[in-house]
Amino acid sequence: MEVADRPLTVYDAYMRSTEGPKLAESHWDAKVVPEGVACMKEKYDIRFGSEFIPVDRDLKERLFLAGMELLVTTGIYNTDTRRVIKVTESEIMEGIKKAPRKLQLGEYRDAVFMEPRKGNASQKPVIQGGPTGSTVSEDIFIPMIQSYAQEAAVDTVVNGVMATIGGVPSTANTPFEIKATLAEIRGMREACNRAGRPYMAI
Amino acid sequence: MSQLNELKLDNMSMNMIAGWMHNGNVIMVEQMPILGGYIGGVEETAICDVATTLTSFVLMNASFHLDGPIHIRWGTTTTRETMKIAGHAAAALDAHTDLLIANQYYSLAGPCTEMCLTEIAAQSMLDTASGRELVSGCAAAKGVTDDFTTGMEARMLGEVAMATAGMSVDKVNDMIELLVKDYERRYQTAPQGKRFQDCYDVRSVRPTHEYLEVYHGVRERLSELGLRLR
Repeated sequence: MEVADRPLTVYDAYMRSTEGPKLAESHWDAKVVPEGVACMKEKYDIRFGSEFIPVDRDLKERLFLAGMELLVTTGIYNTDTRRVIKVTESEIMEGIKKAPRKLQLGEYRDAVFMEPRKGNASQKPVIQGGPTGSTVSEDIFIPMIQSYAQEAAVDTVVNGVMATIGGVPSTANTPFEIKATLAEIRGMREACNRAGRPYMAI
Repeated sequence: MSQLNELKLDNMSMNMIAGWMHNGNVIMVEQMPILGGYIGGVEETAICDVATTLTSFVLMNASFHLDGPIHIRWGTTTTRETMKIAGHAAAALDAHTDLLIANQYYSLAGPCTEMCLTEIAAQSMLDTASGRELVSGCAAAKGVTDDFTTGMEARMLGEVAMATAGMSVDKVNDMIELLVKDYERRYQTAPQGKRFQDCYDVRSVRPTHEYLEVYHGVRERLSELGLRLR
């Protein structure tokens, strides 16, 4: 494995997507990815049993290596430039090393920390409550989000999509999308305040 | 910010990430690989899921990755097949990296139903025991109809995660099997449930007695199976 000169950034990703191999998106979808995945399944002998969570260390290692090699051999496709972004194994390892190992979500007494749990550790995961992108009527947006923020088990909240703003649909790629998004953010913060958790992460 | 299915991204996603990166923001990159789509079956989708997760950190400067393997027929994350994908991908990544990984919830049944809460409980056990650092939900009734989501589903998500943390993986696998076996035979008749406005007093933001009763029933069942809910 060669040595990477540095971890990649989103700028490197973009530059590579202007220079990488060019191909049709339909070819990527129907041939490159399915064939690449099938090849990795075969090479690493990936077969699951009846369990939902594997306990076999060897299977976990083979699955990890299969996923990493899939990324190296196929890359990622940019649908705008219609080119493939290629990465090396050493660049993947640098990216893994550079990734944050601890995140603070929220502030002051409403802050929670996201850290590696390692297996089924006794430390519970961070609980993020919310409609998770489901659409929510404008007139009940704040109480609905408050219903999550007030829950003792909930650490952070995730928003829903405000269906309308001022009665106008918040259609994507229109000014109303932006207006509704800003209203969502204000509504989320108000809901957290009403729940007595003003600095909860949203 | 979301990647595109499968193993794809676009300029807009990279532009937004550039802005967030320079603001010092926490960046969540999501991707929901589709079981039964271009990549095929359970094992294939799990391999793609690992590659996709690595992409978020290697090329998109993610702080954490939000997963969500989704079933092409049912549009949910709580099926037997999609939970196997999520469980295996998370366990593989957890065993070989310290990456911060999360999963999201799309149930078939909707609020104020026993099936919805059971689906959420099963996946919460899965995500917790497979080593994920954050769980995010829930888009009940597949997340496709206005107002079919409430805080009570998140209560189930959180309470089950707390009770599951630290349990043996073998025991968790057995319990998930029992829960899934129970609800997967009801896919064709899954109840849509009720809107937020019908599950809560909107002014006081208190759940209805009916929903509390449904919640209590599912809690009792989980306790009988051996889950130590606090």
